[in-house]
Amino acid sequence: MKAYQADIAKFEGNDTQVFGVSIDSPYANAEFAKQIAVTFPLLSDIKHTVVKDYGIFNEEGGYGNRATFVIDKDGIIQHIDEGNVAIDITGAADTCNILSHKKATQ
Amino acid sequence: MIKHALSVLFLFAAASIAAAQPTPMQTPSPAPAKTPTPQQAGPPAPHTNLKVGQAAPDFTLPSDISGPDGRKVRYKLSDFKGKKNVVLAFYVFAFTGG
Repeated sequence: MKAYQADIAKFEGNDTQVFGVSIDSPYANAEFAKQIAVTFPLLSDIKHTVVKDYGIFNEEGGYGNRATFVIDKDGIIQHIDEGNVAIDITGAADTCNILSHKKATQ
Repeated sequence: MIKHALSVLFLFAAASIAAAQPTPMQTPSPAPAKTPTPQQAGPPAPHTNLKVGQAAPDFTLPSDISGPDGRKVRYKLSDFKGKKNVVLAFYVFAFTGG
């Protein structure tokens, strides 16, 4: 999350909205946002519906896996990082940079 | 005659025990051989079935941000359609520092 915050300008400059998503409560996330000073919204998937929809919910451990999805203006997934790879935001940032030079078809 | 039948039975029993023995002994050996397969296939963590080029599943989720009404602001993915690209950074727990 800190990595995204550090490079938030790269994303926002490219017409991109960044969201952090976890299964924590909005209150835990608000506390977390304060602690690490993130300015982008942290979403709470308390019911685990989104982590399940995105196929990254660990049933045994009861938590969501680390992953990054880049979605374009047409709602199409353009980039996926999973696991520890997702800590490195370079791939996501590059994808957003490319997308910003493409026009939405809708 | 009965003695003979009994000894045949005994032999048969012994043979079947002997025949049965290698089976339970062999069973554990394919089991450890199977165990590395899921490990080699990847970490035990689940993998997404979504692929690049697919539509992202829509959602509406509350955020950590409080709105003017004091309630947490909710975001809907499809609200960004035609407006902005969206990066969803799923993280494990808020306090992992990732």
